[in-house]
Amino acid sequence: MHPTSLMMTTSLMTIFLLLAYPVLTTLSPAPRAADWALTQVKAAVKLAFFVSLLPLFLFMNEGVEAIITSWNWMNTLTFDVNLSLKFDHYSIIFVPIALYVTWSILEFAAWYMHADPFMNRFFKYLLVFLIAMVVLVTANNMFQLFIGWEGVGIMSFLLIGWWYGRADANTAALQAVVYNRVGDIGLILAMAWMATNLNSWEMQQMFVTAKNFDLTLPLLGLIVAATGKSAQFGLHPWLPSAMEGPTPVSALLHSSTMVVAGIFLLIRMSPLIENNPAALTLCLCLGALTTLFTATCALTQNDIKKIVAFSTSSQLGLMMVTIGLNQPQLAFLHICTHAFFKAMLFLCSGSIIHSLNDEQDIRKMGGMHHLTPVTSSCLTIGSLALTGTPFLAGFFSKDPIIEALNTSHLNAWALTLTLLATSFTAVYSLRVVFFVSMGHPRFNTFSPINENNPMVVNPIKRLAVGSIIAGLLITSNVIPLKTPVMSMPPLLKLAALTVTILGLMVALELASLTNKQLKTTPTLAPHHFSNMLGFFPPIIHRFTPKLNLVLGQTIANQLIDQTWLEKAGPKALVSSNIPLITTTSNAQQGMIKTYLALFLLTLTFAALLVSY
Amino acid sequence: MAGVGFRKWAQALTKSKGTGISALLSGCRAASGGSKGSLPGSYPTTPEEKAAAAKKYNIRVEDYEPYPDKGEGFGDYPKLPDRSQHERDPWYKWDHPDLRRNWGEPMHWDFDMYIRNRVDTSPSPVDWISMCKQLFGFIGFMLFMFYIGEKFPSYQPVAPKQYPYNNLYLEKGGDPEKQPEEVKNYGI
Repeated sequence: MHPTSLMMTTSLMTIFLLLAYPVLTTLSPAPRAADWALTQVKAAVKLAFFVSLLPLFLFMNEGVEAIITSWNWMNTLTFDVNLSLKFDHYSIIFVPIALYVTWSILEFAAWYMHADPFMNRFFKYLLVFLIAMVVLVTANNMFQLFIGWEGVGIMSFLLIGWWYGRADANTAALQAVVYNRVGDIGLILAMAWMATNLNSWEMQQMFVTAKNFDLTLPLLGLIVAATGKSAQFGLHPWLPSAMEGPTPVSALLHSSTMVVAGIFLLIRMSPLIENNPAALTLCLCLGALTTLFTATCALTQNDIKKIVAFSTSSQLGLMMVTIGLNQPQLAFLHICTHAFFKAMLFLCSGSIIHSLNDEQDIRKMGGMHHLTPVTSSCLTIGSLALTGTPFLAGFFSKDPIIEALNTSHLNAWALTLTLLATSFTAVYSLRVVFFVSMGHPRFNTFSPINENNPMVVNPIKRLAVGSIIAGLLITSNVIPLKTPVMSMPPLLKLAALTVTILGLMVALELASLTNKQLKTTPTLAPHHFSNMLGFFPPIIHRFTPKLNLVLGQTIANQLIDQTWLEKAGPKALVSSNIPLITTTSNAQQGMIKTYLALFLLTLTFAALLVSY
Repeated sequence: MAGVGFRKWAQALTKSKGTGISALLSGCRAASGGSKGSLPGSYPTTPEEKAAAAKKYNIRVEDYEPYPDKGEGFGDYPKLPDRSQHERDPWYKWDHPDLRRNWGEPMHWDFDMYIRNRVDTSPSPVDWISMCKQLFGFIGFMLFMFYIGEKFPSYQPVAPKQYPYNNLYLEKGGDPEKQPEEVKNYGI
């Protein structure tokens, strides 16, 4: 076997073993060491990261990709399900990034959750989640992808409901599961269609045999799956509710890795989508609506984690827009750069929340730049990267997306919405930095507020380094598969920067007005629309469950009995016969003598007629 | 001898106060569990029946209101206000704090719908009609604008390049005697 492909295969297998080993050791009844979380789990992830750099460098140097089919799982005469792993351009770049981000988050979580009695179990859950995510991104067939898909969904449920004594956390976990399930309907529909029409779940066979089919139905299924998993409009409320979980969970699952699984699915299936204009337009419009709607909701939130959650949702909408532009590689680039700065934003939020004695309301923060300068600087760097500040990580992914939007033949309203959402991004990012880091503290004095613990600061610094250089590193080492449009008028080239600066100026103006406002909460209708998340959760979460539960109870208690006894049974007999009986008996008035006389008369006439 | 044993066994079975088959044979019930008086009964018609039902369900007589007798099978079960557990005071010291309920409180007919994980009936800052109008108006507006956007898409206009001197007629080898035709790809 060629040494390069041997090294690729070995590295991938090693990564899986390294990640699975700590989980397998938990099966033994012996108690874990006190520092198991740090020495075993974090070390495993760190080691797996360094191992995963080998395939990355091989890919950057030689452009080699590997597909490994290692185990025949369920094989019938006509249908094969194998354990096959695809280590192509997407998974080779994503796995090191996911491991790097997870390494930082685990180190941070060791500090954040140090007072939790079940910290080891928490780390185990995070590790199982990571394994499921790696299974998802390296899957070469739909079955394996589905295993990873469901795995991340279940771990998301367990981790969001970590503090299960809290009813709101339970509700949020249930919301996540139910919304993801609705998306899974689409995924299973697509898988069933592919199994029956393309006779395979292996991606290579699917892409080749699908050329002659009308793929609208399975693509709709895949888009519904992505809507559920990546919180697009319609199935989005679970993502802000998922902030009930601990901050490391929000940082890992609900910003960098799990929520991008839906977009990743569409990127994997991009050879199927690229020839279907209906699917592309749907992705474009859905993504544009999502990005604007969630950016609008983020403008008036006061919980720092909710703002970052809506920011995640908005960026996911932008990734969906990119897929709608038929640019899966750009969407993937945005996934990679977004992972860095979004995880860092969450870690900074977590550090600030813990320092302020679990205060999450930004109206009660302020002046953190004096108290936690490194954290607040990294918060600013992350926000700048998010808004697409030139030459930070976000710039290398966001700017090409906006350029591609401006130079493509597409729905004008989608373009408008995306540009508007880009400026809103700048507004809420400035809002966060203004309320948290700038000004004077609006809280009572706590001690200690410091950054002396390296377990807090080092992960944030590591992710800050990633937020600055990741975009440059990836774009300079990866050859794009589609030629980007290079020549465009200067206005279009600078469009992203222009709308961002406009947004920043509006936000600065609003921030200066904030200091002078008299009322604590505005009473304008648009504020209510934005603050209550477009009224989507109140309406849907009250109406739909009530309808279903009341309908269920009515059917079970009343409808069956009513049908069988009243509408189709004994009472129906009664109610159908009584009109007949009434008509018949009303017709007969009881005038017997008259009836007899008429009868005899008729008989006489008939006899006379017959005889004559 | 065996007959005596059999008789004793049959007596024990019929006279025992256990549950299951012995209760089936004897008709007796154990002393634990709900008594017959605590089970729901038929719709109360007289004030005495209403008072007895209110006592049974642990409500005051003035608060007791049965479901209307429309043949739906509610019997004398009280019609409690349709308020979910979200609306109860979170800071009061309930007997079951996570359920926000005290011991012995009458349960709503649809109690499983009104738990804290499900339907929330608490008043919203904006009334329901206004919320529905704003949300569905927003969605409708967006769908309409997307339709307009499909009709009038955005794109970079592209046209063939227009050269001077009659589109370079002579340079391209055109006949100098003949009048060249006007080629105008775009106007400025």
